[in-house]
Amino acid sequence: MKLENEDDLDNLILCHQCYTLHEEIPIADGTKACCSECGGILYRYDSRLVDHGLAWSITGLIFFTLANLFPIVQIELLGHAQYITIPKTFVALFDNGFYVVGLLCAFLIFIFPFMVFSVNILLFSLLKSRKAYALTKELLIFLSHIKPWSMSDIFLISILVALVKLIGYAQIHMGVAFWALIIYVVIDLYITKQIHISEVWMLRKRLYKQKGYR
Amino acid sequence: MIEIDKDQLIRCRICEAVNISKGDETVCRRCGSMIYNETFNTQKSWAYLLTAMIAYIPANLYPMLVTKQFGSVEESTILGGVVMLWEHGSYPIAGIIFFASIVIPVMKFLVLIYLLISVKYPIGKDRKVNKHKLYYMTEAVGPWSMIDVFVVAILAALIHLANVQIVAGTAATAFALSVFFTLLAAHAFDERLIKENR
Repeated sequence: MKLENEDDLDNLILCHQCYTLHEEIPIADGTKACCSECGGILYRYDSRLVDHGLAWSITGLIFFTLANLFPIVQIELLGHAQYITIPKTFVALFDNGFYVVGLLCAFLIFIFPFMVFSVNILLFSLLKSRKAYALTKELLIFLSHIKPWSMSDIFLISILVALVKLIGYAQIHMGVAFWALIIYVVIDLYITKQIHISEVWMLRKRLYKQKGYR
Repeated sequence: MIEIDKDQLIRCRICEAVNISKGDETVCRRCGSMIYNETFNTQKSWAYLLTAMIAYIPANLYPMLVTKQFGSVEESTILGGVVMLWEHGSYPIAGIIFFASIVIPVMKFLVLIYLLISVKYPIGKDRKVNKHKLYYMTEAVGPWSMIDVFVVAILAALIHLANVQIVAGTAATAFALSVFFTLLAAHAFDERLIKENR
């Protein structure tokens, strides 16, 4: 295999799932390229990735805020009404003295999801205005470090499991935040599936090249 | 003009850029993070994995959920909870909990042990197994073990009346730590050590 220089490596791609080597070719707007070995998605091309990314991140953050402010579920048990919000879940663990689990839950279901979305917003707005070349690099690195630790989707399934356990013992009322959380999780999954971190890196290279950065 | 071998190409785990492997210490040309470090190749992953396996033992022995109802205290372990749900007739939930807290962690231990051993000492006919795919699957399915911890957290936050109370048990801490360390072990595993399938 012969290459002109190291920059040519950007035209190559290794499949995420099976590590097969592929060469990147231009594809139509809005389509995706799949691995010939395992069928996994290699990359997508979206000419308005910055706008889409920014829009989805802001929407996601709005729904995340809603999901945290209002009660997720309310139950009636022996004449008492009880409700939970996301922060209340890990605060209750702290109250019971489970500091390790409480801290872990606080990070996994509150701090990391919040960080992913705020970093995304900052990143895409910087890319849009083509400013702070060095900062976008740090943000992208930071983002790939925290992304695997955001577990809102798993928390949503846990809520459902917990509620099924309670059926028959108590009356259950879904709160506003439950629906907000569902929408938030869908957006979260959409962003993670739709926008690969490598595409943002390539986009960054294209955008800043026009402004004279290397 | 540079001439390279296909086998020399490695992917940066942070920014996913394709890089030319330069041996012991390769720094990613795009994001500048260390992508290959010979000294830490498997030891770090082994250390995390062993911690996780040790934490998994108390996680199964101690109670996960403590239900205090009108003065009587009932404690249930992870497996006990699954059996109870099964007897109550909620088969799908029993299945989910069983899968998330027993099958996934144990599978993950076994897969990681297999991967860690096989990258050092090739075992007979294992060339047919796509280890990259195996590793990818473990990474994808791993975090779902946290379901049980979250369920306990939700129940404990939701039910704390004067007469009926649900409190998390000792196993919750042990189990959360076990899952946390398996995730770290999987992250620390250097997938570039798998060379056969390229």
